[in-house]
Amino acid sequence: MKFFRLIWRNVFRKKTRMFLTTASIILVLVLIVVLVSLLNAMEADPSGGRGANRLVVQHATGLASFLPLSQRQRIEQIPGVVAVSPEIWFGGVYKDDRPENFFGQLSADPEVFFDKIFDDATIDPAVNAAWKATRDGFVAGENLVKKFGWKKGDHIQLRGTYIPVTLDLVYLGKYNAGDESNIFFQNEYLNQAKWFGANRVTGIYYLKVGSPGDLPRVTAAIDHAFENSDAPTHTMTEKQFQAQFMEMMGNIKGLIRWISLVILFAVTLIVANTVAMSARERVTEISVMRVLGFRRGHVLSFILSESVLMSLLGGIVGVVLAKFVIIPGMVKGMQTTPMAPFLINFKVTWQVLLAAFGISVGVGVLAGFVPAIRSSQVRIVDGLRQVV
Amino acid sequence: MAIPLKYNVRNLMVRKVSTGMTVFVICLVVTVFLFVLSLWSGVTRTLSTNASDRNVVTMRVGSQAEMQSVITRESADLIRSMPGIERNAEGQALVSPELLTLVNIAKQDGKSTNVQVRGTSPIGMQLRPSIKIVDGRMFRPGTSEAVVSKVLPSRIANVRIGDTLKQGSYRWSIVGYFDASNSAYDSEIWTDVADLQAQSKRPIYSIVYVRTPDRDSAQRYIEAVKGDQRLKLEGKTEKKYFAEQMVTGAPIKILAILVGVFTAIGASFGAMNTMYAQVSSRIREIGTLRAMGFSRRSVLTSFVLEALLLSLIGGILGTLLAFILFNLVITKPTGTMNFRTFSEILFNFRLTPPLIAGGIAFSLAMGLVGGFFPAFRAARLKITTALREI
Repeated sequence: MKFFRLIWRNVFRKKTRMFLTTASIILVLVLIVVLVSLLNAMEADPSGGRGANRLVVQHATGLASFLPLSQRQRIEQIPGVVAVSPEIWFGGVYKDDRPENFFGQLSADPEVFFDKIFDDATIDPAVNAAWKATRDGFVAGENLVKKFGWKKGDHIQLRGTYIPVTLDLVYLGKYNAGDESNIFFQNEYLNQAKWFGANRVTGIYYLKVGSPGDLPRVTAAIDHAFENSDAPTHTMTEKQFQAQFMEMMGNIKGLIRWISLVILFAVTLIVANTVAMSARERVTEISVMRVLGFRRGHVLSFILSESVLMSLLGGIVGVVLAKFVIIPGMVKGMQTTPMAPFLINFKVTWQVLLAAFGISVGVGVLAGFVPAIRSSQVRIVDGLRQVV
Repeated sequence: MAIPLKYNVRNLMVRKVSTGMTVFVICLVVTVFLFVLSLWSGVTRTLSTNASDRNVVTMRVGSQAEMQSVITRESADLIRSMPGIERNAEGQALVSPELLTLVNIAKQDGKSTNVQVRGTSPIGMQLRPSIKIVDGRMFRPGTSEAVVSKVLPSRIANVRIGDTLKQGSYRWSIVGYFDASNSAYDSEIWTDVADLQAQSKRPIYSIVYVRTPDRDSAQRYIEAVKGDQRLKLEGKTEKKYFAEQMVTGAPIKILAILVGVFTAIGASFGAMNTMYAQVSSRIREIGTLRAMGFSRRSVLTSFVLEALLLSLIGGILGTLLAFILFNLVITKPTGTMNFRTFSEILFNFRLTPPLIAGGIAFSLAMGLVGGFFPAFRAARLKITTALREI
């Protein structure tokens, strides 16, 4: 530690070089934080990781087929099931056809939805009560509300795509949860619209079981009950249900991981190159230090510490900039692009920032290693003789 | 007078390690950039291949995807009498009412995905002349037979010829492969429409697909459908329909720009570092050059050229790496979700000549930014101080 000033001075010896190297570390870290947070947002767990004992029942052939509403009662009778809500993905168009105005529009049963099933979401009891009482009301995730600036009493219109009706809905209030990219309105309101499936079918059943231990038994019981009916079911945990959509993006996910790795490698090379250049320029100086009595180990740790210190500075600045300046600005700037639907759940968590910070230290160690060893191995006589 | 280029080449060669690392960084950045861009170009190409403006997709007003639309049998019959429709040699109107559905089936890797199933007819095949059966045979109506795209078996389980695909209440025997030249249809399973109606218990159609003799007739047909109050349908040329699906590729393009901009600035900083080091270790040389009569401008040009050369090598290597990656390593089609249909579309990475040019230009831009400031410093040196430098 007593040599800290020496290392610090050496880092700042060439200001331009130090600035450029740190800046490239910062850029890459910010990019990686963005990419990883984007992956997290796409994978957003609606329960925020808390509620594991929820199941989703869909038609065995896939999401395009409806399930008869008559199944609800059979499911409710299965021991262990706490409550069941039919849900329909409305998939309507809000404002215009542009992808940035896309969000999840679901109908549910307000009597049980927030009270018994989606119970890890936080909703003001007054708002929940208003939703139960207002046929054409809807509640929305807070992030979505912020995005569109909805105020209580606002009317929105959703033009149906595969359900050929137009819905006129009134905003009642917000809810908070892991996934805040959806709105919920009453099944009854959709039924009143007299579409071809009104009072007859639903898209999925969303249900809660008493304890996680019941999950396998309930899953099997539901699928068994409808196995030979006109509408066989496929029951899965909420997480597996979400994973269906992520699976389809599978390659994109892997791709983002690969990109992150490659650019990390590239930035390691940039830092390594800088450290090597500055070490090479100081061969004579290092030899003089060796003559004065500094050991090889000292030289090794000086150069390595320089590299780590530089990366650390980049890491700190990068993480702070990412969290408070660049990412908020970028999210704001992208609200009107097709990227917008992915940004509703976009959050930069401290875990990600911490990981990015750790990565910067790793880059410093990796980058400094080879130049540090090489400079410590130079023989004093050779070093003193060398003309740079 | 210009300083010979040989001077720059030799200088780059003297500092092999430093030059090599910078070149490698630029190479990686260009590869990553091309990688994401060709992903986007692959999706775009898949959605525009063979899309014709003579074929019209008739859907319910407001539907964003074929699968969302519903058309009754009565409406489908009305459509047959619309103007502008082509007839084949036997005098049949080239009209194909089709039903689409989504099945969630197992992939080769054990996970599952959503695949679009199209109920069609032999006429539907005639309507799309670019699609051909390349192996096995066409399905026979009423026998639960299906044909799949030739690329599907590499990704989806149980869809080889002779296999039986079972999912929920659906059951098909696979009897042939079709080749849709990597268009969007190459992600689908095709079967007989009446059979699909029976299996899915939906006695309706999703869309009515119509072929017209030319663009004007297509417009005439579209107008006629729009004007018919009984139908509440709209017609879109196949080209327009798929163009609307391209929103799926838009986030990938934004990703490419994001990654490209950040990494490019980072890499040009790296190049700038190298060039600054080059300048500061050659100050005496620069002084000598100036003393010999080379102007400030020549020195500036020379150093900028050196940086450009450095980045050009990186750019070419990066493009080559991307080329090798797409042609030798990633040979199977890749999939991503079409957000309009919730089904998977398969596509290949596409490294097109404009992309290659873009990659090279991208690397040169990095070189220009990275080289200009160091070159400027070199050019501004005073001869006397430069020569005095040890």
